[in-house]
Amino acid sequence: MLFAPPDPDILARRGKILAGLRGILSDGVVSEPAGLAAFDGDALTAYRQAPLACVLPRTRDEVSALLRFASAEGIPVIPRGAGTSLSGGALPRADAILIGLARMNRIVEIDLENRCVVAEPGVTNLAISRAVEQDGFYYAPDPSSQIACTVGGNVAENSGGIHCLKYGITTNNLLGVELALPGGERVQLGGKTMQPGGLDLLGVVAGSEGLLGIVVEATLRILPKPPVTRTVMAAFRDVPCAGLCVANVIAAGIIPAAMEFMDRRCIDAVEDYCRPGYPRGAEGILLIELDGVEAEVTDAVAQIEQIARAAGAYEFRAAADEAERARLWAGRKAAFPAMGRLAPDMLCMDGTIPRGKLPDVLARMAEMSERHGLGFCNVFHAGDGNLHPLIIFDVMKPGELARAEEFGAEILKLCVDVGGVLTGEHGVGVEKRDLMPLMFSDTDLAQQGRVKCAFDGASLLNPGKVFPMLSACVEQGHMHVTGGRVPYPNLPRF
Amino acid sequence: MAHFAIADETQLVEAVRAARETREPFEIVGRGTKRAYGRATSIANTLDVSALSGILAYEHDELVIAARAATPLSEIEALLNQRQQRLGFDPADWGPLFGARANAGTIGGALSANTDGPARLRFGAARDHLLGYRAVNGLGEVYKAGGRVVKNVTGFDLSKLMCGAMGTLGVLTEVTLRVYPRAPESATLVVRDIAPEEGFAVLRRAWSSPFEPTGLAYIPDCAAKSFALGDCGKGAALLRVEGAAEPLKEKTAALRTLLKGRALERVDNGEAIFARIGAGAAFLGHDGDIWRLSVPQASAASCIERANAPIWFADWAGGLLWLGLPATSATALRAIGARAGGHATLFRASAESRATIPVFQPEPAAHATLTKSVKAAFDPLALFNPGRMFEGH
Repeated sequence: MLFAPPDPDILARRGKILAGLRGILSDGVVSEPAGLAAFDGDALTAYRQAPLACVLPRTRDEVSALLRFASAEGIPVIPRGAGTSLSGGALPRADAILIGLARMNRIVEIDLENRCVVAEPGVTNLAISRAVEQDGFYYAPDPSSQIACTVGGNVAENSGGIHCLKYGITTNNLLGVELALPGGERVQLGGKTMQPGGLDLLGVVAGSEGLLGIVVEATLRILPKPPVTRTVMAAFRDVPCAGLCVANVIAAGIIPAAMEFMDRRCIDAVEDYCRPGYPRGAEGILLIELDGVEAEVTDAVAQIEQIARAAGAYEFRAAADEAERARLWAGRKAAFPAMGRLAPDMLCMDGTIPRGKLPDVLARMAEMSERHGLGFCNVFHAGDGNLHPLIIFDVMKPGELARAEEFGAEILKLCVDVGGVLTGEHGVGVEKRDLMPLMFSDTDLAQQGRVKCAFDGASLLNPGKVFPMLSACVEQGHMHVTGGRVPYPNLPRF
Repeated sequence: MAHFAIADETQLVEAVRAARETREPFEIVGRGTKRAYGRATSIANTLDVSALSGILAYEHDELVIAARAATPLSEIEALLNQRQQRLGFDPADWGPLFGARANAGTIGGALSANTDGPARLRFGAARDHLLGYRAVNGLGEVYKAGGRVVKNVTGFDLSKLMCGAMGTLGVLTEVTLRVYPRAPESATLVVRDIAPEEGFAVLRRAWSSPFEPTGLAYIPDCAAKSFALGDCGKGAALLRVEGAAEPLKEKTAALRTLLKGRALERVDNGEAIFARIGAGAAFLGHDGDIWRLSVPQASAASCIERANAPIWFADWAGGLLWLGLPATSATALRAIGARAGGHATLFRASAESRATIPVFQPEPAAHATLTKSVKAAFDPLALFNPGRMFEGH
């Protein structure tokens, strides 16, 4: 990965810049090396870089003032929520101010009549659901890092999660944002209504990875909790059979709330780690969650059992009670840390493919694994075709990192070749920035780039992310895990 | 004044490149069913894109369909019907309201005008269903955006911007949409003789229930006739739920429990009624102006009271108010909308009114500047439908 060298002129002005920042924030300017080290990266741990300074505003006016200052001084700005991005979305630069939004963590309004919650950007994802659960509601997007990741980061990354199969990702559950533009002005895009009054600027802000503005408030749609939720598990002796089952469930007109796949290596690792009760010896299992009214769920479970058995499932079991349901999901959520215990190093990919291509792609990944001489395991959101293959390697063995990265790039290329995309939910960030030409032509990228310029003409917001640099060397998308230590080991990973 | 009928994307590119030379903008026309929607413009040249028609791929087991942008919606819906599938945003047929033929619009037109119908409440708006597209921008370049899979965060989500942009950002040539399974049956329940405020409260209770209603509308007495509802007294609250036979029974029973004390009567022409609601049927046969107010659901009753329209009705649990009021009510209506945190669109009016009164809610200065910059990012010479949304660009 090639990064632009820091601007020496900005580095030389550091003292003056810090003084300017302290003039705006009475507290919350971090400048000493030890303090800055806490902000030197996110969950894409392969890259670390301390920022020039880190500021922690408490109000939207402070965000505006900071942006105004940075813009007047020509200093790049990196927005950061909780720093859980898997693609380097919050990776700082030596010549940039990092604006951490975590202290803006107030829920502004719970509006049950209009079925929405208005929150500041630093509120965590899970806190939204927590705030409305006693009233029978929840916020649907549930990224794996939901106990830590923030609403502002969710908007920037357009976060998904297990339940987005039925309920959509962040953009489908986002009603409005107040956005601070690079010059400090603020605009309200959307609100509590179902249609925008003009161009749908909100739609392009969601998933813009901090390149278009800083979210200082978001209005989120909440959903009523379903009356019945049931989880079933199907076990297969053959991975492509599980892929076929997924495709056939969707083709039958059933949209489960979630449909997740884990392969043998992953099942074994998880069983060793927390014993959720998965069948050892299965080549793959599917966890499928259905919700709705009783008759709907019962119908769907019966249909899915038929489909699964026809596709070759040798075991099919519905969780008998809430405790078993929780156990089945706990295993899925522990997949990532469980794998981390086994492998010295891992790369986590994030492509999406058409569901019907699952059997073929799964088989071809196994071939690649042999060719590269590297193990891998598969654990992913099968229902929407969002793959998360984990490539296992040992960085201490010469050449393995390069081979792993090659393997990863080959997988993503395959995803694009079969009609899929580079990233289903982790974002492009710096991680997949240089792979963008696999999916988009120069003309396609230039059109996106012009939208960036419409919001941020001076290119000060999160520069170096998403769009490939002209002279970049192509590297691979990955999340690097060293010594079995995953970033944020206490977070369940999906 | 010239009429350019292009046969394919290549000719489209040539036409746009030629227009770049002459700096003469186009009015983009598919089948022309919604030409009377949006600001009135005085664009001399028309660009007829109706030849960009045809379904490119229908992968029913992937829940995805791709079509050229001017493919008739009726063709797409007929195909989806064969597989018991539907477009989630439930595109409404506005043609007759604008004096055009019924059932004649294109998919590109439906997306560009955000013709979201009643089931949008459950499945989302047009923008939630457009997975990707190809288009020609104002530089005369063909480009693509998005993808063909449901879960995709690769690059900026330009598909959202194209929906509701009224053709001001470019000429769509191909669109890829997600589709939904169509439930085998639906049931429409009516609460009769219920005043607006109470009626909206009933709709909101159903909207906050987990029974996934696909239609929640309120029809006051003044509009009841247009929807063949029979005697509605003060007005009628309509609730539609969907599913297979057994789940549907359970959902209707659950709604009755939820709304106990209300007489819920099942009507058998619910699908037709909701199609007429999407199509604004209360205004068919009238030639008066129409406004649409988009407001937070809980503000519906107070907005209706303030607006005091002689004919009106409400969709989306009160989130969308159709009002029969003259174009000149702009200031009052926009104040009512703004006070509720919503906005007002002058939906139908004479060309003269639509040239002088902003059709879309005027935006605050910083927002308007941004809108202008985004338009220029796609169409720097303002060749595509300039002025159709906002004056001057």
